Amino acid sequence: MLQKREKVLLLRTFHGRTLRIVREHYLRPSVPCHSPLCPQPAACRNDGKLLTSDVTHYVIPDWKVVQDYLEILEFPELKGIIFMQTACQAVQHQRGRRQYNKLRNLLKDARHDSILFANEFQQHCYLPRERGESMEKWQTRSIYNAAVWYYHHCQDRMPVIMVTEDEEAIQQYGSETEGVFVISFKNYLDSFWPDLKAAHELCDSILQSRRERENESQESRGKEYPEHLPLEVLEAGIKSGRYIQGILNVNKHRAQMEAFVRLQGASSKDSDLVSDILIHGMKARNRSIHGDVVAAELLPKDEWKGRTTALGESDNEDKASGESPSEPMPTGRVVGILQKNWRDYVVTFPSKEEVQSQGKNAQKILVTPWDYRIPKIRISTQQAEALQMCKMPVNTPENPWKVSPEEERERKDLRKTHLVFSIDPKGCEDVDDTLSVRTLNNGNLELGVHIADVTHFVAPNSYIDTEARTRATTYYLADRRYDMLPSILSADLCSLLGGVDRYAVSVMWELDATSYEVKKVWYGRTIIRSTYKLFYEAAQELLDGNFSVIEDIPEFKDLDEKSRQAKLEELVWAIGKLTDIARHVRAKRDRCGALELEGVEVRVQLDEQKNIHDLIPKEPLEVHETVAECMILANHWVAKKIWESFPHQALLRQHPPPHQEFFSELRECAKAKGFSIDTRSNKTLAESLDKANDPSDPIVNRLLRSMATQAMSNALYFSTGSCAEEEFRHYGLALDKYTHFTSPIRRYSDIVVHRLLLAAISKDKKMEIKENLFSNKELEELCRHINNRNRAAQHSQKQSTELFQCMYFKDRDPETEERCISDGVIYSIRTNGVLVFIPRFGIKGAAYLKNKDGLVISCGPDSRSEWQPGSLQRFQNKITSTTTRGDSVTFHLFDHVTVRISVQASRCHSDTIRLEIISNKPYMIPNTELSHQNPLLLKSELVKEVTKSVEEAQLAQEVKVETIQEEYQEYCQTKGRSLYLLLEEIKDLALLDVSNDYGV
Amino acid sequence: MAGLELLSDQGYRVDGRRAGELRKIQARMGVFAQADGSAYIEQGNTKALAVVYGPHEIRGSRARALPDRALVNCQYSSATFSTGERKRRPHGDRKSCEMGLQLRQTFEAAILTQLHPRSQIDIYVQVLQADGGTYAACVNAATLAVMDAGIPMRDFVCACSAGFVDGTALADLSHVEEAAGGPQLALALLPASGQIALLEMDARLHEDHLEPVLEAAARAARDVHTLLDRVVRQHVREASVLLGD
Repeated sequence: MLQKREKVLLLRTFHGRTLRIVREHYLRPSVPCHSPLCPQPAACRNDGKLLTSDVTHYVIPDWKVVQDYLEILEFPELKGIIFMQTACQAVQHQRGRRQYNKLRNLLKDARHDSILFANEFQQHCYLPRERGESMEKWQTRSIYNAAVWYYHHCQDRMPVIMVTEDEEAIQQYGSETEGVFVISFKNYLDSFWPDLKAAHELCDSILQSRRERENESQESRGKEYPEHLPLEVLEAGIKSGRYIQGILNVNKHRAQMEAFVRLQGASSKDSDLVSDILIHGMKARNRSIHGDVVAAELLPKDEWKGRTTALGESDNEDKASGESPSEPMPTGRVVGILQKNWRDYVVTFPSKEEVQSQGKNAQKILVTPWDYRIPKIRISTQQAEALQMCKMPVNTPENPWKVSPEEERERKDLRKTHLVFSIDPKGCEDVDDTLSVRTLNNGNLELGVHIADVTHFVAPNSYIDTEARTRATTYYLADRRYDMLPSILSADLCSLLGGVDRYAVSVMWELDATSYEVKKVWYGRTIIRSTYKLFYEAAQELLDGNFSVIEDIPEFKDLDEKSRQAKLEELVWAIGKLTDIARHVRAKRDRCGALELEGVEVRVQLDEQKNIHDLIPKEPLEVHETVAECMILANHWVAKKIWESFPHQALLRQHPPPHQEFFSELRECAKAKGFSIDTRSNKTLAESLDKANDPSDPIVNRLLRSMATQAMSNALYFSTGSCAEEEFRHYGLALDKYTHFTSPIRRYSDIVVHRLLLAAISKDKKMEIKENLFSNKELEELCRHINNRNRAAQHSQKQSTELFQCMYFKDRDPETEERCISDGVIYSIRTNGVLVFIPRFGIKGAAYLKNKDGLVISCGPDSRSEWQPGSLQRFQNKITSTTTRGDSVTFHLFDHVTVRISVQASRCHSDTIRLEIISNKPYMIPNTELSHQNPLLLKSELVKEVTKSVEEAQLAQEVKVETIQEEYQEYCQTKGRSLYLLLEEIKDLALLDVSNDYGV
Repeated sequence: MAGLELLSDQGYRVDGRRAGELRKIQARMGVFAQADGSAYIEQGNTKALAVVYGPHEIRGSRARALPDRALVNCQYSSATFSTGERKRRPHGDRKSCEMGLQLRQTFEAAILTQLHPRSQIDIYVQVLQADGGTYAACVNAATLAVMDAGIPMRDFVCACSAGFVDGTALADLSHVEEAAGGPQLALALLPASGQIALLEMDARLHEDHLEPVLEAAARAARDVHTLLDRVVRQHVREASVLLGD
């Protein structure tokens, strides 16, 4: 059935000889055409994605169009696109891996209406290249031929338009076949998508930039920078050790001056360099940008410079010369770029006046990227991209939803036997997890963790699944959230609300009644009915024996006194028992070296009109820890289970041990207070952090813990097939295996783990595994994606908090308003200032001791500060400012000072918080709401991992029903385009981008 | 160009085959009149010629004679023009010797050697064009040649190679796929009994993947068997026509 053809290729070998290679080429009578109009779908074997049937025509882009206008073809509005294999191969060969992966992802994306037609393997579509025919001509001819075939294949029912950039082809083929039109891409956009403005503008810019590139290559290049060396020279140089290969990292705070080349594995071994290489100034950086893989050459030793330790002014003028930099470090210059890190950037256009002042070439605009580390970019023509949110068909089960009898048979019914309850933040909608505890007949205890059975509703590879996978996590911004699953699932069907029947996946342990040792464990699908939906504060009150809160618990309302008493006792016993168990489990982990870390967190409190009412640091309770501990326990046991069942394809979470050198700052700081921190293992670190507690100032311990947190690496998801077993460890939690299982509503990783667990259960029962699991390779790719999304989510969360911090202070006049003055703690010393942490608002920022005019701070007898001429002197743990009059003031590490908070507005970048020291005495807080808290109760960063939903859901609840108009007024944002929408769009762009990065 | 895509997302290989499909096989038996048996095979662009002499008396030193069975002597050579760049020596290099030994092992398992004690069977195989899967082509050619010589065998010996790319097992690798450097497995099968005459692999492959790859190679070898069987029947039919039955 296959036909054999031969292709003769002439290749040039390394020695310069030509080599004749004969390759076989097999043709088949039918390849999948993926068209709903196909007359013989069985013969074509059209499985998978089909083109939609509601298009007026099919578009077939020529190879050149695919190469140059792929960004436009990515528009979701453009439908019915058929990519010919010939065109795809041209992209692969000429545009490299990145562009090709972009195309592949586009084809894989179920939401985008495009398919690939393997024309070169179809016996009627394949045309051998003729002798003397150029590659380009042959490609165009093949694509046209395939287009004609495709048109006839669909029985001439759907007109086909081939878009090409080749004028000759338009001439030659334009009127050759009826129904197959050949037009230029510009022409196509004009006649079929006149309304799609964004596409037109993008097209124009692409055209223009291409023209420019052509011009530029003809003109002589700019001579400002030395030429990059050719790749062969670089490779040879790297091998011989003359150049050093590494990734360029631009210093965020001194983007104009400082960049470092971080060495990559191999090269650092043979050279005796230990540290990074400093690249000083733009000239030495030689047009490379942040993230590029570069080759650098070391400068002679006498030209070596030191790392600047001064706080950078955001104006970025080079005036570091007066200050003494730290000791010289290896300095070099970039001689060539091995791999570019170009991607899509968010930039700000200059304002109107600036555009005019930029003058003569109005079509070129210098834009400023949002990221400080990226230099200004010159782009051609102005464009406004309007990307639409894609619509997602949601297959919602009919409402009202009921427990089906089949499921009832298959699942264990806990509705009558177990007291199940949930503890969540007040008003939480998406309840992932519930708990139960009871005494068994044999005297043992049974602890149960019941997690929402999301996988029952989300079938693998359904639309919801695909979308959830791309989103990977729910995004929580300071005032709103962006769900991973549609709200019908997240807030209703999957959410384990009180008093209703719900499906769950449960882990139940039988524990010894006294030692709480695990005797047995059971995993499986269940039906539960949560009796109480408690909130943390109420649970804590119950735990403390304060029963007045029962008025706030709706479940107790309609009961008579007697039964209420009985029920209450039952519940209080359960919460008490849980806490007891959690303490035991926690103690066991502590013995292995579990860490308690500190992250600064604030909650934005909004009032009715969404004004920012206050910034409230979070208040930790013991119940938080109880719930968290139960979740950690469940995660740990599930991790063990899925790893045992699928040793090579289980999704686990690892937390690699930190690099010791990152702890040096922590050790130094602790030494200033007379504590010694032993960072050799997680156990010693935990112990020494516990000891490093200044009874008079609890902030010190918090700061040290947060420094320790910063020094650590991030926890990551991984596939067990790609790591050795020793690397599975979770450093922070001190567990050998850990995963995420308990929040499937808001994390995609948990959905994967649920599927794995269910497959493991059916494997144990010797049943056929229904779920098609990911292979190790697929899982690895997925993990990388989820990790990326998580990092992005954390980042956006952080920035959102910063934004709200700024907004909080923006409308307040720092001179008069009481709130803008606060107590701060110095946690790091620089040559011209100090870094200050403000516990009240959770803000960290820099405060200068020397202002732009060169004046230094001085404090009078009333400890008020003023600017005076003078000089600064920096020591290890303190900084002294001496005025010309002879007064001097010294700031030590961990000193409390009074700072004034103001906002520095910026047009191109985000607004930043500015701190100004107004007194060297601690600020007396009028309301001492949080000055002294039990440090043991401070919520740890890692526990946060589990209980994150807590505050986030609370936030979500606070923002529920607000009209958007009000928002615009309140946030002083431009009409019609909120920052949130903007972020959404960025996310949309990023989806494709991130998934592209796999292959690279 | 960063690496060739050996298996596209649509499931096509570089030359247009799907994962389990064989290259085109064409074969003829009895290509030389002088030899006792001979055959020529083309598997895609890999072309091999096999010639069989024997069973005959031991040539050379009598000491090599085996008292209970026949000695199988295999020699492999590859034409200097068989590869893209011209080879220096047609035979006698390390690789050829190894191939000869492998062939010998394969055919000792397949030929009923105990029927011809103290005699010798010579199998000479020459590769005319090498485009991947030379071992498989040699075995398949030699099977036909041995049959043409009328030497009794347990069964056909059918060989095929298989590789592993992106989690999928590929049958019958071409030169391009071999050169990409992934794991490659060569299998010689006695299809009727499903016994393995020879299995060779010298790359790293996770044990979980061995089974699918082996399965792919075995299925391909069975497909080869169907084709070879057809060739043999065709040859016999032609021969009987010539004899005038």
